[in-house]
Amino acid sequence: MTKRTSLYEEHIKLKAKIVDFAGWEMPVQYTSIIEEHNNVRKNAGLFDVSHMGEIFISGKDALNFLQTLVPQDISKIIDKKAKYCQFTTESGGIIDDLFIYKLREDYYLLVVNASRLDVDYNWLIKNKGDFDVVIDNKSDIYSMVALQGPKASDILDNIGLKKENQPHTMYIMETSLLGENIFISRTGYTGEDGFEIIIKNEKAPELWETILEKGKEYGILPIGLGARDTLRLEAAMSLYGNELNENTTPIEASLTWSIDKDKVSDYKGKDIIQNQIKNGVEKKLIAFKMIDRAIARHEYEIFYNNEKIGYVTSGGFAPFLNTNIGFGYINTNKNLKIDDTIQIMIRNKLYNAQITSKNFIQKHNKGN
Amino acid sequence: MTISENILCSKSHEYVYEKDGNYYIGLTDFAIEQLGDIVFVELPEVDSKYTKGEIFGTVESVKAASELYMPVSGKVIEINEKLIEKPELLNEEPFEEMWLIKIESENYKEDSSDLIEYSKYKEEVE
Repeated sequence: MTKRTSLYEEHIKLKAKIVDFAGWEMPVQYTSIIEEHNNVRKNAGLFDVSHMGEIFISGKDALNFLQTLVPQDISKIIDKKAKYCQFTTESGGIIDDLFIYKLREDYYLLVVNASRLDVDYNWLIKNKGDFDVVIDNKSDIYSMVALQGPKASDILDNIGLKKENQPHTMYIMETSLLGENIFISRTGYTGEDGFEIIIKNEKAPELWETILEKGKEYGILPIGLGARDTLRLEAAMSLYGNELNENTTPIEASLTWSIDKDKVSDYKGKDIIQNQIKNGVEKKLIAFKMIDRAIARHEYEIFYNNEKIGYVTSGGFAPFLNTNIGFGYINTNKNLKIDDTIQIMIRNKLYNAQITSKNFIQKHNKGN
Repeated sequence: MTISENILCSKSHEYVYEKDGNYYIGLTDFAIEQLGDIVFVELPEVDSKYTKGEIFGTVESVKAASELYMPVSGKVIEINEKLIEKPELLNEEPFEEMWLIKIESENYKEDSSDLIEYSKYKEEVE
């Protein structure tokens, strides 16, 4: 049985094409993925991301409990701040990537992937042990929308949350909008300035319609999962199930930047992760740009001098860059670097690609 | 007679029609609509020969790659070069004008016997 978000009827009204995603009937596109994608880069877009999970962790051991689960140092998060984290296994593999928000002392909000919500929840329960914490999965009562793009802040201002009252980049706040309590964070998955708003299901359709209505003069469009994927790809953000899985560590996944290397507290997989930071890894996630005219896709093989050295995790056409890009894991024993040429096997032929930095796009409109 | 009365379609959503003694092969409007924004088209060399059911090229949308199957056997005599540089024309222009390849066919009648008329095809897919 597939599930529907509280905004399903809105998507039908907007004539979205609906697909099954992680057990949810979600809009993949409303008009055109390319148009939607470029509109988020240029103006603004509104996404239904209600399929994502919201889990609240509270209690006097909340901090110590979370410390055992992620390579990030949760004690360093100040109130109202967001941190990008990964749940890791004993062998350092990634169970999920998530945002942890510190709402206040002993009270955290975890936003996790829809496809991993059940696994995450069970993982939390399994590891609760003697910690004095309450694990509260509120995913079924909350909806979530993402308002993203350079005009996002103007649009929010226009519906009543004035610019001076909006959260700063990577912060969250609890406030009231349309007479309803909401959580609003200045985070996203597009590489643009923008917000993610968590609101009770009953109120979500009104919020959705209001944002689209008040955003009209700023050129807002509803955006489907198709453009959500191309936007994150172009912004060099990993997708669980593609770049990340339980057989891949954060170091291999080039997420070392997100880790607190000198974290004192123990966490699952710490020895392996510390060892990889010090001694290196055997495979590493790289970004590439196609040189030849061809599109690399998920699971295509990567070659170097006619030898297979890895595989593509995500690939496709990047609408804003107007070029074909991708990510993949390659063996590190060839010592390949940025600007080196690799080949991708596409329909039994090898096509040239160039390893590039992950800064495909510069964030061209930073939040305040 | 308009082109669309003459169009035959395959189950894999390619079409073929005859005009001035040549046969034009392309993708149906339904297939294009399903694919969404088309960003890449790979077509065969002129003079290459394919039998019915063989893969002769690829179209890729933002989302995925789809292979193209010959609805009838034949020899490629021309490819629609415009589509190599501007694959988005498939989304923008009438589908029957944006044919992919032009072929010579020797056994058209026999080869096309399992293809269905466009009007019937439309009823089936919609």
